[in-house]
Amino acid sequence: MTRIRWFQVLRPLTPRARLVALCFSFVLPVLAWGVVSYVPFVWHPQVLITKPGSVDYLQPGMRMDKTAFAGEVKEALDEHKDPPEGYPTNPIYLPAPHEVLFAFYTAFKTPPAAQDGKWLHQSLWHSIQIIFWGFVISSIIGVPLGVLCGTYAVFSRISEPFVEFFRYLPAPAFGALAVAILGIYDGPKITIIVIGTLFQQILIIANTTRKLDVSLVEAALTLGTSNTQVLSRVVIPGILPDLYRDQRILLGWAWTYLIVAELIGTMSGITWFITQQARYQHFNNVYAAIMMIGIIGLGTDIVLALIGRRLFPWDRSLVKSE
Amino acid sequence: MKGTARIASVVGLLLSGVMFGMGPVSAEPLKVGYSDWPGWVAWQVAIDKGWFKEAGVDVAFEWFDYSASMDAFTAGKIDANLMTNGDTLVTGSGGGKGIMVMLTDFSNGNDMIVGKPGIKTIKDLKGKKVGIEVGVVEHLLLLHALQEAGMKEKDVTLVNAKTNETPQVLASGQVDAIGAWQPISGEAMKGLPGSKPVYTSAKAAGLIYDALAVNPTSLKNRKEDWMKVIKVWDRVVHYIDDPKTQADAVKIMAARVGLTPEAYTPLLKGTKLIDLAAGKKVFKKAEGLTSLYGSSKIADDFNVKNEVYKQAQDIDSYIDPSLTNATK
Repeated sequence: MTRIRWFQVLRPLTPRARLVALCFSFVLPVLAWGVVSYVPFVWHPQVLITKPGSVDYLQPGMRMDKTAFAGEVKEALDEHKDPPEGYPTNPIYLPAPHEVLFAFYTAFKTPPAAQDGKWLHQSLWHSIQIIFWGFVISSIIGVPLGVLCGTYAVFSRISEPFVEFFRYLPAPAFGALAVAILGIYDGPKITIIVIGTLFQQILIIANTTRKLDVSLVEAALTLGTSNTQVLSRVVIPGILPDLYRDQRILLGWAWTYLIVAELIGTMSGITWFITQQARYQHFNNVYAAIMMIGIIGLGTDIVLALIGRRLFPWDRSLVKSE
Repeated sequence: MKGTARIASVVGLLLSGVMFGMGPVSAEPLKVGYSDWPGWVAWQVAIDKGWFKEAGVDVAFEWFDYSASMDAFTAGKIDANLMTNGDTLVTGSGGGKGIMVMLTDFSNGNDMIVGKPGIKTIKDLKGKKVGIEVGVVEHLLLLHALQEAGMKEKDVTLVNAKTNETPQVLASGQVDAIGAWQPISGEAMKGLPGSKPVYTSAKAAGLIYDALAVNPTSLKNRKEDWMKVIKVWDRVVHYIDDPKTQADAVKIMAARVGLTPEAYTPLLKGTKLIDLAAGKKVFKKAEGLTSLYGSSKIADDFNVKNEVYKQAQDIDSYIDPSLTNATK
C-alpha cells in the first residue's frame, strides 16, 4: 500500500484519497455541530429549567441565561429557599443533530393536521415544480441570448449594459408587482426565480462563450464556413460542456431564491413549512427542512454531473474536477 | 433580438399561467385572504365544516403571510382581506380601498409590549430602547400606552424590527422591551424568562379592531353573497364560545397553524370574538374606542402623524355597517 500524497500542485488525488477527502468534507462540519451540541462545557450559554424551585416566574422547560440562572440560585440559597434546577443547554435556535434527524424522519410521517393541509412530500414537490419552471423559463431566454452575446459583439452591446444594471436589483423587491400582474398563486413565484436567475445566466453564458478558443473559429472561417455555420457547427459544440456546467451552477442559484419567492402570494411549498415552524420556534423542523433542500440540490447536481460525463466524454476538465 | 426576448418572455409567462391554471376566470368563488391571527383562523371552523356550502355561497379562503395578504388585496387579486382597521386605512391610502363590513374581533390582550426582566411598568421604559415594527399596530399600542402613562414618544428610543423577529431581538438583550402580538409575543417571553407584558391591548380594548374588508366593486356586485358570508360568522363565534364545542373548534384552529390544541387555547383569551349582535354596537358612530369609527379615527391620526401616509382618510368611506345591521 502506497502512502497517499496529499499535496501535489495541480495533480488529481488518487481515488482512495478522493473518497477520504469527500467524507471529511461532510464529517468535519457535522463533528463541529456535534461537539457544540453534546459537550456540555462547549458554548451552552443557557440553562434549561427542570425544577423552578422557589423562583415564581420560572417554569420547567424554560431556557434562561447562565448568569441570570446563577443569580437566581444564589439569591435562593442566600434566603435559604429552594434553588431552581436545570442543565446547560444551547439556545433554541441550535438544536442537536439527533433532534434534527428525528424531526427529519417525523416530518414525513406526520399526516397533515388541517383538512386542506398537505403532506410534506407534496409541499416539497410543489417547490420543486416552482424551481423547475423558473429555471426552464429563464434558460429558454438566457441560454440563446447568452450565446449570441458571447458570439456577436452587437448583441453584447445591445443587451449587456442593461443586464449588468438589472442584475443588481433585488428580485424580491418585484414581489408585489408580480402579484399585481400574475395573481397570487404560482405565477409570481416563478417570476421571482426567473428574475433572480436570468440576468446572471446571460452574463455567465456570454462569458463562457467568449472563452472559446479563437483559433477554432479562425480555422473554420479560413475553411470557408459561413457566419451562421460558425455559430451552429463551431461555437455551440465548442462551448457545450462548459455551458452544461454553467447550467448546473445556475440551477443551484435558482434554489437560493426559493424561500423569498414562495413568501409571495399565498403561502405554499417548503417555505410554508419552514416559516410556520420558525414562528413557533420548532427549529429542529426548520433545520430538517433546510437539510431536505440541501439533499435535493446536491442529489440533482450529482445526477447531472454523471449525465454530463456520459454526454461529453471528451471533456477532460469534467473528469478532473470530479 | 429584443423581439425574440419579448416573445420568449410572453411564451414563458403564458406557459407558467397555463401550467398552473391561473388567468382570468369568470364567476369565481369569493376570494378571502386570511393569516395567522386567532380571530381570522376562526374562519377555518366554517371552512372545515362546510358551512359556506350550506349557506349557498362559494368562498375560497387563501392563506397568506399578513403583509403579503395586504399586497394581494391592494393588487386586487383577492376580493376581501382580514386585517386590522388601521391597516385597512393604510392599504386604502395606497389605492387598495377596502370596506369594513363586519368585525371578527378586537384584540383583548394578545397584542402586547413585553419588557425584559426588571421592566415592570411603562414608566420604567423612560430613556430605554423598544424594538417595534414602526408604523404597524404595535407601534400604535405603544404610543397609546405611553400617552396613558403621561409620556411622549420621545421618551423612548424606537428600534425598528420586524414583528416576526422580535423574540430574537428581545433575547439579544440589546433592547429593553418589544411590541408583538400572539403567538410571537408568547414566544418572546418564553425566549427570555422573567420578561413580562408591561402593557397589553386588554387595557385598551377597541384600539385594534379586526375586520373583513371587502373590495368595493365586489361588494357592489355581489352584496347578496357577502351577506351570506357574514351570516356564517355568527355560527363560527357561537361554536367557538360554546364550552361544549370549543374543544373541537380549537382543534381545527390549532391544526391550521401547526400547534397543539393545548398550546392554542390560551391564545383565544386574548382575542374577543365579536358576533353580529355585538358588532352592531361597535358599528354605531361615536368617539372613542367603543366605536369602530372612533377607533379608526385614532388609527388615522396615528398614521398621518407617523407619515405612514400623508392625507387623513375619510373614515366613513371605509365603513359600511348596512350588512351587519341587516342581520337579525
